[in-house]
Amino acid sequence: MARHTENVLVRDGRLERIDDDRSDGVGVRVRSGSAWGFAATRDLTRAGLRQALARAMAIAEAQPASAAYPLAPLQALARGHWQGPCDVDPFSISLADKLALLMAADEGMRGDPRIVRREVHCQARREQSAFASTDGAACSQSFVHCGGGIGAVAVDGEEVQMRSFPVAHGGAVAAAGWEHLLGLELVGQAPRVAEEACALLTAPACPSGRSTIVLHDEQVALQIHESIGHALELDRMLLFEASYAGTSWVTPADLGTLRYGSPALNITADATIAGGLGSFGWDDEGVQATRTPLVVEGQLRAALADRASAAMIGLSHSGGCARADGFARQPIVRMTNVSLEAGDAGSMADLIADTDEGLYLETNHSWSIDDRRLHFQFGTEVAREIRGGELGRLYRNPSYAGITPQFWGSLDAVCSADAWHLWGLTNCGKGEPGQVARVSHGAAAARFRDVEVGVA
Amino acid sequence: MSAPPLELAERALEHGTGQTQVTVIGERSLTSRFARSRSTQVTAVDDTTVEFLCATDGHTSTATTNALDDDSLRDAARRAAAAAEAAARTHGKPGGYPGLPVPAETPVRPSDGHDPATAELGPALAGSALQAAFTLAERRGLEAFGIWTAGEVSTAIATSAGTSVHEAVTDAHMRVIARDPGGRSGFASHTSMRSADLDGESLLRRAADRVDLREPLTLPPGEYPVVLEAEAVGILLDFLGALAFNGLAHAQGRGALVDRLGTSVAAPAVNLADSPRYPSTLRRAFDAEGVPKRPLPLIQDGVANAVVHDTRSAAAAGGEARSTGHALAAGGDPEGPVPTNLVLVGGGAADEHELAAPIERGIYVTRLWYVNPVRERETLLTGTTRDGTFLIEDGRISSPLRDLRFTDSALRLLAATEALTAAPRLVSEADLYYRRFAHGQVCPALRAQGFRVTGATV
Repeated sequence: MARHTENVLVRDGRLERIDDDRSDGVGVRVRSGSAWGFAATRDLTRAGLRQALARAMAIAEAQPASAAYPLAPLQALARGHWQGPCDVDPFSISLADKLALLMAADEGMRGDPRIVRREVHCQARREQSAFASTDGAACSQSFVHCGGGIGAVAVDGEEVQMRSFPVAHGGAVAAAGWEHLLGLELVGQAPRVAEEACALLTAPACPSGRSTIVLHDEQVALQIHESIGHALELDRMLLFEASYAGTSWVTPADLGTLRYGSPALNITADATIAGGLGSFGWDDEGVQATRTPLVVEGQLRAALADRASAAMIGLSHSGGCARADGFARQPIVRMTNVSLEAGDAGSMADLIADTDEGLYLETNHSWSIDDRRLHFQFGTEVAREIRGGELGRLYRNPSYAGITPQFWGSLDAVCSADAWHLWGLTNCGKGEPGQVARVSHGAAAARFRDVEVGVA
Repeated sequence: MSAPPLELAERALEHGTGQTQVTVIGERSLTSRFARSRSTQVTAVDDTTVEFLCATDGHTSTATTNALDDDSLRDAARRAAAAAEAAARTHGKPGGYPGLPVPAETPVRPSDGHDPATAELGPALAGSALQAAFTLAERRGLEAFGIWTAGEVSTAIATSAGTSVHEAVTDAHMRVIARDPGGRSGFASHTSMRSADLDGESLLRRAADRVDLREPLTLPPGEYPVVLEAEAVGILLDFLGALAFNGLAHAQGRGALVDRLGTSVAAPAVNLADSPRYPSTLRRAFDAEGVPKRPLPLIQDGVANAVVHDTRSAAAAGGEARSTGHALAAGGDPEGPVPTNLVLVGGGAADEHELAAPIERGIYVTRLWYVNPVRERETLLTGTTRDGTFLIEDGRISSPLRDLRFTDSALRLLAATEALTAAPRLVSEADLYYRRFAHGQVCPALRAQGFRVTGATV
């Protein structure tokens, strides 16, 4: 596996840093009896690979004996090559051109002395990998990810406020080329971002109580990630992540029977979506990418599975969700692109117009959920009052909290397909040693009733 | 690693032009995960990365490779230099990096943070630790979950300014969760520089002792006296390091100690320092810029004393500010420097039971989870408890509680601290993402007033 990553950060009108990382290596995963062993090496010589194989075997054989468990059979052998979409290779863009764009966005946030930090960043990643197994698989794939974002921090006395666009936590990234970054229109959004950061300094605090809330689709994406995606990872349901990432409030026995949310809730895992960070030709066990409805009209149908977890509950095949973060990590159950299907509530403006009273929340700032993915608390950068079907005043420090099935049970409207967007998330941590996965979530703005707000 | 790290760094530096820092990091590690009293995943890593940092007129660029041949090193050096020069050319004005730090006048003193036996990474040692935990778990009618991990990390830094330093450190961590068929769980962990210290049976016993088979109670939101175990204190201190003692955030007016240095921010019993050579910590001799590490008092008798710096944040702060040896990355991490060897001095309490004794109705927390900042300037955090939360009634740790959500300020909790246990110990989350960088906090358990509970699981 070969990975090339470039990050460019402009801060306060100066190029703060350019990082260009390249790594190549091979991971060897073996099963001996009931135990697995894995060894990674950057030594790509025949001798180096033999040494890694021997190390993986020795490790597997040193494990305490236990009953063997099967792997779900492969439906087809992975063969051929898969390539992700990319119109304009971001690595072909000169640094001068990248800086010109970033500096223009920075300039757009300049002016108000209360802004103490302006940041504009872009990133690109290219990965090329080959997979072969003793099952007979032999395939290769490559993809490019690209994206970026802007942010401004404003300070006035004790008050600190931040605004980001399109998202915080690493910007908006997609499986695409430089054209994706250009499409974000960072320069045009920059003045608004700076103005809102300053406006928040004097905005009233988010009220406390229970309220109808409308979430921007980016926050819906994170809500899906934390309270649906992780909860439906089959390894968590089977307790295999109890040590670190945690378990799930959902059990395998719930598949096909549990009501996860309201009838407006339709969730699909789809590793074939163009532009998705969780899209691929085959997963890291050589299982072909697939589309799986997870929740249909609020009813739980399926989980995210790899070959081992699928076999443990008697599934006929893997869900194609085994993914590894680089050559030095072994595959674990991961989300692909887990999305909320579009509803029929029209545009965001239509949804706001249809809401008498409530809060509109946008751009995630903080997030936390318990180890069974039940009790969550999120904060966003900004909220606006909704009154009489119109957006009103700004609120600072908004937050909301809930219990997963109750919250999704309160979903009563999802915007339509024209308002549906794919949001990339580049910092999903799981596994030991730690692995950072990249996934995407399709979502449209959505409305939830009777939610606890202003909790922090 | 084919060549000794410092030799490799010096050889790589020959490819650099202008102001250049070469950092070589070699990781050898073994991580064994287990669940339901069986081994589930074992990962061995052997990888070395070479990073070039180039600085031109205050603009920095890095290029990293894990290919160690001369052509690859030359290419990485060229990429870093070209990017830094292009940045300088494009801007036409100086960047924010003040330049490579001047080498220490005296040789960097070794940290003594290396254990040769741990560096052997024998898989049999992990296997026997797991087996010991599994055997006792079966006897107790429980299942064991957790991780055993050990690693050796060699770091060498050579710079065009003359810095030439190297150290190898080891670390080891075992975490055990004991769980009964009903889902009630208890937790114990141990972190050390020696894998021989990881005792699977002892950890399973401690974890199992916290599995309470009674039906857990639900505590309503409110403010409660709390006893936080060392692991919970360690997480709060880790966040405090980033939010309060980060010199860059401080210089930008975002830090929690802005206008508060020299003032009382914690209870008089609170003494917190970054102590990179403290005996039980994961010791380090120098930071990511090759600057020697030294003890730095951060809170003394409750009074905020200092923030930490790398060269970049010190330049941003101006005045007398200098690097304190807390860089996380060559050239300074974009998010700023943080202390990674925090030591909170203990108090007089024998154990968590003595801390609980004065509490009429409160909470005993063994472990926190998914903690994240809500408002950074206030060090306001939210997170939940897991794997063992208990009610304290009439001075005794009593009934199990359902996991709780807290939303509270880490600094406020230190201000409300009433007592600490006498024997601090090293705790770590062992979040080993990216290139292995093990760190932890040496801290006691403590009792504080007014722990703000904002919810509970069902």
